[in-house]
Amino acid sequence: MSFTLRGRIESRLVAALPALLVAFGIHRWWAVDLVAVMLLVGVVLDAALYDRLIDYQPAWFALPLGALELTLVYAAVRVLSLPAPLWTAVGLFALAWVSAQLFVHAALPRLQLTYAESGGELVRQGALTALAVPTLVFLGLGAAYVTRVPTVHLHGVVRGPVVVDRAETLVGGTIRGGVVIRSSRVTLRDVTVVGGVNGIDVENASHVMLDDVRVLRSESDGIHVRNSTVMVEHCTVADPAGPWVQGIDISYSLGRAMSMVSGCTIAGVREGIVTHSSGVNVMDNRVLDTSLRGIVLGEMSMDMASGNDVEGAQGVGILCLDHSMCEIRRNVVAGTRVDGDGDPARAGVAIEAQYYAQATVSGNAIIASPGGTRGFSNSAIER
Amino acid sequence: MSRTGRAPSDGAPPCAIVGSGLTALAAYATLRHGGLEREEIVVLGTHADPTARWRIQAAAIRQRRMRSESDGHLAPADFPGLALRAAWRRRSARPLLETVWRGYNPRVEEFLAQAAEVRERSGFDASFVRRTVARVEAVAGGFELDGEGPFRHVLLATGHPGLALPLELAGDPRVVHAYEPHEYAPRVAIVGAGMAAATEWRNALAAGSEVVSIRRREPLRRPLNVPRSYFTKRGLAAFHRSAPELRAATLRELSAPSYPPDARADAVLAAAAAAGRFRVAAGLNGADQVIAATGFRRGYSSDALLAGLVERHGLDVHDHWIVLDADSTVPGATDERRTLSIGGVAGQWAFPAADTIAGAKYAARRFLERVCRSR
Repeated sequence: MSFTLRGRIESRLVAALPALLVAFGIHRWWAVDLVAVMLLVGVVLDAALYDRLIDYQPAWFALPLGALELTLVYAAVRVLSLPAPLWTAVGLFALAWVSAQLFVHAALPRLQLTYAESGGELVRQGALTALAVPTLVFLGLGAAYVTRVPTVHLHGVVRGPVVVDRAETLVGGTIRGGVVIRSSRVTLRDVTVVGGVNGIDVENASHVMLDDVRVLRSESDGIHVRNSTVMVEHCTVADPAGPWVQGIDISYSLGRAMSMVSGCTIAGVREGIVTHSSGVNVMDNRVLDTSLRGIVLGEMSMDMASGNDVEGAQGVGILCLDHSMCEIRRNVVAGTRVDGDGDPARAGVAIEAQYYAQATVSGNAIIASPGGTRGFSNSAIER
Repeated sequence: MSRTGRAPSDGAPPCAIVGSGLTALAAYATLRHGGLEREEIVVLGTHADPTARWRIQAAAIRQRRMRSESDGHLAPADFPGLALRAAWRRRSARPLLETVWRGYNPRVEEFLAQAAEVRERSGFDASFVRRTVARVEAVAGGFELDGEGPFRHVLLATGHPGLALPLELAGDPRVVHAYEPHEYAPRVAIVGAGMAAATEWRNALAAGSEVVSIRRREPLRRPLNVPRSYFTKRGLAAFHRSAPELRAATLRELSAPSYPPDARADAVLAAAAAAGRFRVAAGLNGADQVIAATGFRRGYSSDALLAGLVERHGLDVHDHWIVLDADSTVPGATDERRTLSIGGVAGQWAFPAADTIAGAKYAARRFLERVCRSR
């Protein structure tokens, strides 16, 4: 098709409508920001590049141009530090790209007979819709700005416990005595927490993000989550204050959205990552030298453990426990040690299902763990 | 006058289409798509089957594929195109992949099958009246066609005014026009350098003939009749803004014979040339048969209806084109209440590729806009 500049821009704006509606629908400001970035990158390319260089655009151009725009949007997202989860953001971009193809090649020619002859320029309702899209984007950006969460930069050492009871972002610094989060939409980024009964305690909250936090010397749990939804990424939990300390414990959150623990390193605690009655995606973590179990997906949880390295666990590496339904895939469990009490369920079992639990296991690498993969007490393991 | 539909006299319908070829069918289907009832349109033409003349010409040159692409069909909306229809019918993604990758040239039978569907679905036959219109007269409230009417909105879709034959070939018993049914003699001279000529070179070679291509210039290689930008506002806007002299020069340049790049066909010609069965020459010399692939007569003056219209109403003309507004209407004869529009080849002043399916639709869609605006 041979677009005019106006036709390119109007078609682009109208075709962005589904992605924009999804962005509003998922209630994340980053999604609206992302659509704004996509439109901005696209319109700049339309005006500066495409209109000048492309007299006629065959359908296959959509592939290289789409790849170019994806690259530029990704770069812009990184530069602007948008908190967009990679694959969700790519999905939103893909939706916009597919929508554009469907709009340009099917919907618009169907709705407006002169669409192609007009070089993509829209008439009446189409033009109004094209105008409505940037208006909605600007409204969305404005709303995001007005309702943005304040950011507090911590410097040096702060004496705790620190109680966070409003939506905000804490960045940097060291907190002694623990952090208690009682509000939704709280982010801790690049924070070190030393001591406290629980290093970080999250209760009755959603949209909580713990990004690149380090938790040391806690007395009970490194990260303690109850009835909440959290995203824990790139954390470290180590140097426990006693032998009973757990790394990350996410419990009693089944009524909430799925939580995620990803890219964390947990070392030297009693249990590395523990869930009870929750839905948690435990992925790509390193759990080292635990004294009771490496990862526990327990008590009617519906969890997934994938891509984790569990090394040197005493007794059990990964445990699916008590009526839970677990997917255990592509983990490496190495050096699981036999507990000396003679219990076969703690005889260096790499992956274990216990007490009416159902575990689906596949693609795991089990190294130097004499108990292998086993089920006990009416549990089932499906391979 | 033999009638297969209603007559346009007493209480004439608001819209009349003069001509009953592909342009007429595209216009009729577009008007129906726009909400006009069958009773509001009359089609006055010589062929009940809108594809009849085109079908004969395509068969004469053994045309198998259309030069147009997936959207080169007669339905009002471009989507779904012929590639999607072919993919669905053949249960194959290949037509779609072709249309994405390099343009899909539909098979002639696919085009004709779809045209038959459009004809049936639109109810074309119910509005058709077999009749040759010789005179269009602007009167109060519209236009009279051979004294009948008035019709408020008239689209003239008279088609090509006849086959062109160079004067030097007239009377030569060896000559046949490419668009007339014919077979191939052992030694064939093919005059011309356009799409029909290129097709005939391959046809004659396939029939075992020796072929001499008679042409004055090297043919242009273009995927479509005119550069693609002239099919959309991107190229049309500047064309419409240009001064008459420049516009005419552009049309003359675009009228030069051309045919699409085709490596496989080029290889056939090269192999035949190497075997001494194909060569290029500037003049005729001893062929058993001369095929005139010289297209159609050009200009409004070759069409009695258009020539009379120009003469009686003093319409603006430039060279052999009738001057039209950008929406294919005749200035001076068109206002808020009535429309005189020209579709098909005679509408080149508004749309350089007027003699294509895209050209037929261009005029039809703007005709519909005017009809809807004044209903």
